[in-house]
Amino acid sequence: MIALALLSIDTPMAWQGPGFLAVGPWSFTFVIDRLSALFLALLGTVGIASALFSPRYLRHLDSRMNSSLYWAAYCLFVLSMMLVFVSGDGVTFLVFWELMALSSTVLVSSEHTLHRVQRATIIYLGATRTSTAFIAFGFIWLYSMFHSWRFSDWCFDRPESYGAALLLMIGFCIKAGIWPFHIWLPYAHPAAPTPVSALMSGVMIKTAVYGVVRILLLGNLNCAAIGYLAVTLGVVSAFWGVLFALVQNDLKRLLAYSSVENVGLIFTCIGIAILSRSVGVPEVAALGLAAGLFHCLSHGFFKTLLFFGAGSIDVAAHTIELGQLGGLVRQMPWTMSCFVLGAVGICALPPLNGFPGKWLLYQSLFRNVWLSSSLIDRGLCLAIICILAVVGGLALACFAKAVAVIFLGVPRSKQSGAASEGSSGMVCAQVFLAIGCVALGLTVPQILLLVKPVCDLAVHTNSHIESAFTVDLRVTAIALIVLVLALSKLVLSGSQVRISRTWDCGFGPLGPRTQVTSDSFAQPVARIFRPILRYKLEFELTGTDRRHFPEKIRVKPNMVSLLEQRVYLPLLSIVSKLAKSLVKLQAGSIHLYLIYLCVTLILLLQLGTLL
Amino acid sequence: MNYGAADTVVAWIVSLFSGFLLPILLIGTIRKVKARLQNRVGPPIFQALFDLVKLFRKKQTVSSTVSWIFKWNGAINLSVMLLLALSVPWLCYKPVSLGADLFFVLYLLALSRFSTVLAAMDAGSAFGAFGASREVTISTLVEPALVLALASIGILTQSSDLDAIFSFSNAALSNTSGIWLLVGTAVILAGLVELSRMPVDDPTTHLELTMVHEAMILECSGPNLAMLECSQLLRMAILFGLSAQCFLHSIPCVWTMTIVSQGIIHVILMFVIASCVATFESVAVKLQWRKVPEFIAYCLTMSLIAGLIAVGGSLVK
Repeated sequence: MIALALLSIDTPMAWQGPGFLAVGPWSFTFVIDRLSALFLALLGTVGIASALFSPRYLRHLDSRMNSSLYWAAYCLFVLSMMLVFVSGDGVTFLVFWELMALSSTVLVSSEHTLHRVQRATIIYLGATRTSTAFIAFGFIWLYSMFHSWRFSDWCFDRPESYGAALLLMIGFCIKAGIWPFHIWLPYAHPAAPTPVSALMSGVMIKTAVYGVVRILLLGNLNCAAIGYLAVTLGVVSAFWGVLFALVQNDLKRLLAYSSVENVGLIFTCIGIAILSRSVGVPEVAALGLAAGLFHCLSHGFFKTLLFFGAGSIDVAAHTIELGQLGGLVRQMPWTMSCFVLGAVGICALPPLNGFPGKWLLYQSLFRNVWLSSSLIDRGLCLAIICILAVVGGLALACFAKAVAVIFLGVPRSKQSGAASEGSSGMVCAQVFLAIGCVALGLTVPQILLLVKPVCDLAVHTNSHIESAFTVDLRVTAIALIVLVLALSKLVLSGSQVRISRTWDCGFGPLGPRTQVTSDSFAQPVARIFRPILRYKLEFELTGTDRRHFPEKIRVKPNMVSLLEQRVYLPLLSIVSKLAKSLVKLQAGSIHLYLIYLCVTLILLLQLGTLL
Repeated sequence: MNYGAADTVVAWIVSLFSGFLLPILLIGTIRKVKARLQNRVGPPIFQALFDLVKLFRKKQTVSSTVSWIFKWNGAINLSVMLLLALSVPWLCYKPVSLGADLFFVLYLLALSRFSTVLAAMDAGSAFGAFGASREVTISTLVEPALVLALASIGILTQSSDLDAIFSFSNAALSNTSGIWLLVGTAVILAGLVELSRMPVDDPTTHLELTMVHEAMILECSGPNLAMLECSQLLRMAILFGLSAQCFLHSIPCVWTMTIVSQGIIHVILMFVIASCVATFESVAVKLQWRKVPEFIAYCLTMSLIAGLIAVGGSLVK
């Protein structure tokens, strides 16, 4: 664990060392520049926090998993992510990309005796395989075009390379969990141990963003169509993710869907950057890229923080079902405060770190409305502003629900009533990240100065990105704190307080069951968006005079995942049918196999003569 | 806007005075007009002020299950609103320029909503939680309308800073009454929803089950409630003020007037809006909860038209 912490501390030191670091004649090339340094800093911070959080959390799972295997895979995972961020050529990138995928699969399957974990592992493995296949194919195509594996030699400004760029884009979308490839996220995150979900959501899905920026954007991709694709998929995932997050009852699933939303926002930013650079509006491109990179950092911080909150609750109350929790603010004040800070961050409320990224994205879209020359682009940008406003509202609803149902009110179950604050390591990890969130929000100009070289490189001019963020969050934060303190001092300090019970209309004390549940809080929104969610509310009233005096009322919300039912299941059944028809080849007869061998040999010989 | 030292002092005094008085006068006007339309005498126009003073003096009754969120909610809300009142150009004259980016303003409003929603669910009361649930639903729907409306005039002025948008500096916009009227109407409709007024929510209802905003603050009392009421009044003044600014900009001859006469017309417009709202509330019925999205759709449509005009208009130039 100390080694891991050292490793994690070591990574941000890469700040000082932008330059080349070539190892071996051609094979492993490593490049560390500002872009990798940014992502390494993210990995370092999240890595330290995870290492702090892990020991106590693992004790909670001790009976169900092998902890030495976990640590080995964990170190491999962090190391491979680090090396992905510093890879300088395609082969190195793929090698560590694979290592990252496999070690994370091992981590996801930590509790492999559970059925749901097995299922999640298979789905995750499928998704990550497909992603690698696309990326590998794209890399080979690029190699055949440029005769080099180095990223710096690849250039996407000619139409021949657009095909490869599209393949890479799809591959990275699958890894990032962009709609419609997002289905692995809500399975893998709840199944994995919390520190792993935090790392996967906070850093691993960002490797895909890193790939897009490093290879496509800095490779001068000049294709507006791919920009449109990224923007469309990004916006759809943002909306889809947050809508599904709102109706979840499992905290980790909720966070997983919210990752879909945030990674969608990041892809929208990057897509805007690609799009507006290819149509010649570098100002907007720089804004979009800066928005994307900033949001990567801040999402890494607050999502990890929220996952740690979920983990602490899991350790304390042995459940993360929203229906079983409640009133934890009294038993877990630290976790609660950190979780609220994370929620404020993820809802993009000023003055925390979620807001600057969202603001930069809004600005890039807003400026594109008058800077872009095509009417379609302008309309599109205005429409996206509109959709982002809805997404913002839904995110607020989603996290207000999560905070309120988990921490406020009275406990809904015995376990939740008996919960207590976790170990100091777990609390420290959360406080550390919460401070990080606040610091990131207050140092936006400095961060933008760090991002500036990347933006300059992407738009080939001085982007002036450091002065783009015109809102002064520091003044806002100070003004708010001073005002709140002054008001409460002036108004509340003198007043007397009488403690009473919650208003119950005079019918007697309220119990935990009279509180609103997670389902009922989300119902009005779910009703409005029911065509997308396939949301149905089933009522059942029983008793003699059912209408006025029902004896039993049962209400159950029912949702079907459209994408899984209509797209992926049929696809899977086609694949398995094809596989069954292939089985006929394997008939078990040795004669048949000999014929196969013979035919293959002849074909190979034929091929040899042809080449 | 450049002021000399004496002007700055005058501007501070005028804006502090109007910032304090206007919200109370506006709600007083609405109540008075409503009462007159119902053939009642109605409360005195300063009744809101008397109520606030009374509330500030009262003892607080607090539920035993609440946490710090509930206790700080009133202060947080009022602070956010004071900050907004200082930065948003809801009056024609403003002594300080803190910068009022429109996206920032909307997210600050969201911050106060987040705090109120959490505080509403803090006591574990189902009334508060239902109010909170409805509030987030409504705000999800009305947010795009408000963003789009303000953004569409932002596009024409090529700035997202509300100060720049409402500064009378861009003479090319002086003859575009249509878009200003559309945006003004959209803002006032969105304002009715945001402020939990009729026809979405009835601020005078007595039935907890139908309330939205009132249900959320059901558990609050004494000074805490007073601060929430204050922030609600300020929010109303800010939204009405923004809408009145739009209507003011739609009158071409106002553009060449002095700032004092602009300010006077603006305040008169705010009272006209308040009276119109009161009249509308007297003749309209509260909508069934399921019909609320349809009402918001009108607002959104207006913003959409404004947005399309802005996109098209900026292309022509």
